[in-house]
Amino acid sequence: MAQVRYVSASRVYGKNAPPAVDALDLEIRDGEFMVLVGPSGSGKTTALRMLAGLEPLDAGRVEIGERDVTFVPPKDRDIAMVFQNYALYPQKTVAQNMGFALKMQGVPKDERDRRVREAARLLDLDDQMLDRKPRQLSGGQRQRVAMGRAIVREPRVFLMDEPLSNLDAKLRVQTRSQIAELQRRLGITTVYVTHDQVEAMTMGHRVAVLARGKLQQCATPRELYDNPVNQFVAGFIGSPAMNLQTVPLTDGGARLAGTVLPLPAAVRTAASQAGLGELVAGIRPEHLHLANGSGELAGEVLLVEDLGADALLHVRLAGDADPVVARTEGRTPPAPGQQVTFHVQPDDIFAFHPVTGARLAG
Amino acid sequence: MTVIEDLAPPPKVEVRPRGVSRRERWQRRLPLLPALIYTIVVTQIPFLVTLYYSFQSYFWNTTAPAHFNGVSNYKTVFTTPAFRSALWRSVVMTAAAVIIAMILGVALAVLLDRKFFGRGVVRTLLITPFLIMPAAAALVWAGPMLDPNFGLLNYLLAPFGVHHVAWLSTHALGSVIVVMIWQWTPFMTLIVLAGLQSQPPDVLEAAKVDGAGAFATFRELTLPHLRPYIELGILLGSIYLVNVFDQVRLMTNGGPGTATTNLPFYLYQQVNYAFDIGGAAATGVVTVILTIIVATFALRMFARVFRFEEAV
Ligand SMILES: Nc1ncnc2c1ncn2[C@@H]1O[C@H](COP(=O)(O)OP(=O)(O)OP(=O)(O)O)[C@@H](O)[C@H]1O
Ligand SMILES: [Mg+2]
Repeated sequence: MAQVRYVSASRVYGKNAPPAVDALDLEIRDGEFMVLVGPSGSGKTTALRMLAGLEPLDAGRVEIGERDVTFVPPKDRDIAMVFQNYALYPQKTVAQNMGFALKMQGVPKDERDRRVREAARLLDLDDQMLDRKPRQLSGGQRQRVAMGRAIVREPRVFLMDEPLSNLDAKLRVQTRSQIAELQRRLGITTVYVTHDQVEAMTMGHRVAVLARGKLQQCATPRELYDNPVNQFVAGFIGSPAMNLQTVPLTDGGARLAGTVLPLPAAVRTAASQAGLGELVAGIRPEHLHLANGSGELAGEVLLVEDLGADALLHVRLAGDADPVVARTEGRTPPAPGQQVTFHVQPDDIFAFHPVTGARLAG
Repeated sequence: MTVIEDLAPPPKVEVRPRGVSRRERWQRRLPLLPALIYTIVVTQIPFLVTLYYSFQSYFWNTTAPAHFNGVSNYKTVFTTPAFRSALWRSVVMTAAAVIIAMILGVALAVLLDRKFFGRGVVRTLLITPFLIMPAAAALVWAGPMLDPNFGLLNYLLAPFGVHHVAWLSTHALGSVIVVMIWQWTPFMTLIVLAGLQSQPPDVLEAAKVDGAGAFATFRELTLPHLRPYIELGILLGSIYLVNVFDQVRLMTNGGPGTATTNLPFYLYQQVNYAFDIGGAAATGVVTVILTIIVATFALRMFARVFRFEEAV
């Protein structure tokens, strides 16, 4: 068990390519479940591989348990990795796959069998499956074997690269909670990569959001949701995504859909200090409350997506603003074409710098 | 209950393999017929003729007409020590050449599988021996390479106190085998290289993370992965090398004595020195049967490699 630290770690693939991971500073506590999340190509896999020792660093260093491992080969880092395509050994049986690392450590056969069996039980892999080859398993079973191969070792750090991306939606939800539960029970420091923000929010103790190789914010899921540091994080975290509109500033607020949205004093001061004439206002779909004609934002419903428990309304607000999405209770949604109004709490409005995307005070 | 009774019985769907009428089948095959006839003419008819002569007593150097003599040619084949020693020599030559070529091939393939400056050039150079005609290779080796007085090998070995060795007289079998190895190592390298490159890289990375060193990874993962490729290379090489003739004829002429007389050369001798058409035909038939046995294994192996590819 160990803590993990990235210190200004960078990786540049091509001579003229922008860094895939750009001066990453990240500290992962002992026993923590850290999720790296970001859009495709943001450098999540690269960051993970740097920690595994499969990708050299071009600058900075990585530490595992206070020890600088930047130049330590993967086999001496005492880590276990679950690959996106599982990378099981095709010629070996499930049991041999799971016991391979122990064999390499010179653990005697009896001990190896015992630990493989134990891990198999933990993962609900029955005994007859242990003698099969990976190609005789279903996708979900392979996923569990890959997990098993990692946990048999009792390594200091688990690394997982989108281990659920090849599973169907239902199995993914189920396995998601199993992995989180398993990690809690074993208490092993885990770095988990995903592009799925729901996975990130539900599994991670803390979540690190990456974009274009740069760390945007690292915080608890709640903190990311309540206090995104910039427009990117605000737009990335939360589903459906936050509504973001560039709005002109007026006295006391921002002008949107023909009305003036009141902004907190702190935001107004920050905006005027920066000399801004406009800013990007962000409102989450769940913070647009339907208000029978008495709300301040008026608009016309374009489309209703009924999800059962609730419904998503795509609404064109008065004026020429882009459509916004609102989440409402599912039973009695308005019909398309209907005029609706919304009420918004001033506290629920996020404000961002229109150029840099940084959060304005608040 | 009524509900169930009300339901109409499901319509019966007749499931029958989509049949093709006899006529249609023949129409489909018709365009293949010329090729089939040609194949029969050039392969099966000579074989039948050979089979026919193998039961005849027929000598080119006498005026006596050919006449049926039962299985006596076959009896001779199986009782002459010359045939057995030629067979044995074929086995030794083939086995030694194929196995050593494969070991070298694996080693070279592993070296070629990594990136280094000038890899393309090195790869091409390594492959060239395979592209040279066996007869040309034999002449190059017999002359410039192994000549007792002017040979390159003796020149290179001179600093180590080796002088004027007549390789083709003193180490005839070894010399022929070396040339066979030299020609076939590139083939083995190519097959093994294809195998190496079909190994998924993430499996190798998983092995690294699991704590396996380079040697353990090779033994535990790469070698099992290469197994069908190695088997294929060995079998294809064997089929081809069992028939080696050019090198033997041009380098040693089967000698000294019978030191390098393998089956094909023995056959050749029967026809060209003993004029024994019947005996040669019987030897040929036996050789073909033995080769077919080996080839059957090879084809099975082929099937296995491809099934294996599909499964991965
Ligand atoms: N081997 C490589 N050679 C060159 N460029 C690479 C290589 N691997 C990744 N990159 C580049 O580095 C950047 C980050 O890639 P990375 O695989 O880390 O993204 P990711 O966040 O894991 O994306 P995804 O969610 O699609 O897996 C991308 O722009 C990618 O094109
Ligand atoms: Mg990735």
